[in-house]
Amino acid sequence: MKFIISLAFKNLTRYKRRTIITAIAIAIGLMMYIIVDSMLMGAEAESMRNLRWYETASIRIMNTDYWNDRLSFPLDEGIQHPDKIIEVLQKNGYAATSRIQFFADMILYGEDFGEDGNIPALVTAIDTESDNDVFRFEHTLVKGTFLDPDRHEAVIGSWFAEDIGAELGYHITLLARGKGGFFEAIDVKIVGIVNCPNPNVNRSLLMVPIQLIDDYLAMEKTVTEINIALSDRADINEEIEKVKQLVDPIEKNMTIVGWEELAQDFLAIAEAKRGGTSIILLLVFIIAAVGISNTMLMAIYERIRELGMMRALGMSDSQIRLTFILEAGGIGLIGSIIGVLLGVLANIPMVVYGFNFSFMLRDMDIGYRIQSIMHGSWNPISILVAFLSGFILSMVSAWIPTRRALKMDIPKCLQYR
Amino acid sequence: MSRTNKKQVIMVFMIVLFFSNLIHAMTAEDIIRAMDQNENYATSYMTGSIATTDRFGEKITTFKAWSQGAYDSLIEFTSLAERGQKILRNKGELYLYYPDAEELIRLQGAALRQSVLGSDLSYEDMTGEKNTLDMYTVSFDNEDIVHNQACYVLTLTAKSRTVAYPVQKIWVDKETYIVHKGQYSSATGRLLKEFEVLETKVIDNRTIPVKTKISDILKKDSYTVMAIEELQIDIPLDANIFTLQSLMW
Repeated sequence: MKFIISLAFKNLTRYKRRTIITAIAIAIGLMMYIIVDSMLMGAEAESMRNLRWYETASIRIMNTDYWNDRLSFPLDEGIQHPDKIIEVLQKNGYAATSRIQFFADMILYGEDFGEDGNIPALVTAIDTESDNDVFRFEHTLVKGTFLDPDRHEAVIGSWFAEDIGAELGYHITLLARGKGGFFEAIDVKIVGIVNCPNPNVNRSLLMVPIQLIDDYLAMEKTVTEINIALSDRADINEEIEKVKQLVDPIEKNMTIVGWEELAQDFLAIAEAKRGGTSIILLLVFIIAAVGISNTMLMAIYERIRELGMMRALGMSDSQIRLTFILEAGGIGLIGSIIGVLLGVLANIPMVVYGFNFSFMLRDMDIGYRIQSIMHGSWNPISILVAFLSGFILSMVSAWIPTRRALKMDIPKCLQYR
Repeated sequence: MSRTNKKQVIMVFMIVLFFSNLIHAMTAEDIIRAMDQNENYATSYMTGSIATTDRFGEKITTFKAWSQGAYDSLIEFTSLAERGQKILRNKGELYLYYPDAEELIRLQGAALRQSVLGSDLSYEDMTGEKNTLDMYTVSFDNEDIVHNQACYVLTLTAKSRTVAYPVQKIWVDKETYIVHKGQYSSATGRLLKEFEVLETKVIDNRTIPVKTKISDILKKDSYTVMAIEELQIDIPLDANIFTLQSLMW
């Protein structure tokens, strides 16, 4: 065995250039895999955080009828006793806040915006006292102030503001249907602009005080949703069960869902992209396998007479096969070590500084909830998989060319030119 | 005039004033009943167009429509972009049919509040019952002249929040009971839409508005003009017209 290992090692060093070229091909493939995987994993983790912090919270409570008809945002199907529910949740250690979401026609005036116009907008009415316990908008304010609950004020996402040309102090009118279906027009002044890291929110956010909407749309203290924030490590399903038990005695017909249920569009995209990563890995392995097979095929054809001689001297086929497999494994090992090292080194700036994709993400929705800088992440399992795959696959790819050479007779091998 | 006579005259004047107010209060509701009655036909068939104008330009949709009583109606769009699309309204129900997709959709709940083909009309306006007094309380304001016609000016205040426009001010023709003009406001008194009759026609001894305009006050240069080109009233209609099967034909 020692002889076989030594022979395989000698063969590696005998053809240094070929060994290095094949190993580099494997290394580059593995490095690319580690970087792509890191970026996608990082984007996914950051998106999940931005979803929970700015869009869905961790858990949302809604009236079941509202949930079933949620695309219409029916104000008639609200939660009747939000204050009682929030009180109980807070007593049990949950950070919770109520919101009202509704569609409105946003009327823009020529005096402020340069020309008259109107666009549909999804309006989020927030409880200014408790919203920041669940969502993180207070850290994203870039201009003006946050909402005063007693004033006709609005806070808008910075991309939304850019798109419609809004500035602080501009007035808009929200034409909406109140609870029951009547029309109402609400004048508000833009007092704050937030730059939210979640692009979907930043592109469409329009927040107003919940008291204002309760009054104008005759909500009678009902709300459309109660949002709850949990720690990143919390078991969502377990927490949903606990919240259900707390809410049930206060109000029936409630649906409680986790953020994953609310962000199914993102999860579908993330799943598809994970599939894409697997395809990248597969392509890397195919390239590596072709390289290794080719290298081994050349090595075997160059050494067919040598093989014949070794077989004539009594070396078994399995020993010869093992020699070639170990030689290929050696190339794979060198490639994997270099690939992992390069991948890890290249990943350090990706994790620390990230890559700024704002030029692309500003006007394009790629599903991820990242506004500009996409950070990488460390994924030891992926690195280990890449390393082992490079090594093992190299050995597997040497099998076929070796088998072919071993099918030849010894005299044919000795006479081979 | 003696002191006693003076008292009698004042008394008579007050009684007359009291009864005239009573007459006015009753008249306001009678006016609304007459107005509703004027808008209901046993059966009808019409062709016409809906021209929707906003800051992007004008869009014209043409249609054919059949109606029976207060509840049943069928509209079929005939303009190129919408050709074959149908809206069937039965009592409390509204169905849409899209021929390209061969799909039948029942609209209910909040979906009824959507605009019909981007106009200032909603599907809800079509399902709305025509008994105004069930939805509004009416008060008599004064009298006015609109389009050279003497009109009663009435204010309608919604009885519930399920009515789209909580306050309406309408100008009802004293002779024909058609509404010449309307102003629709929110509960806070904000004027949202204005309605105006641009043209009327006498058909079977009934004066009928054949061209009307609804303007969106909040949106500059946004209005919808509905014009009736042909109208036949009280004609025999096949009862199957207002069934779901007829939508698919």
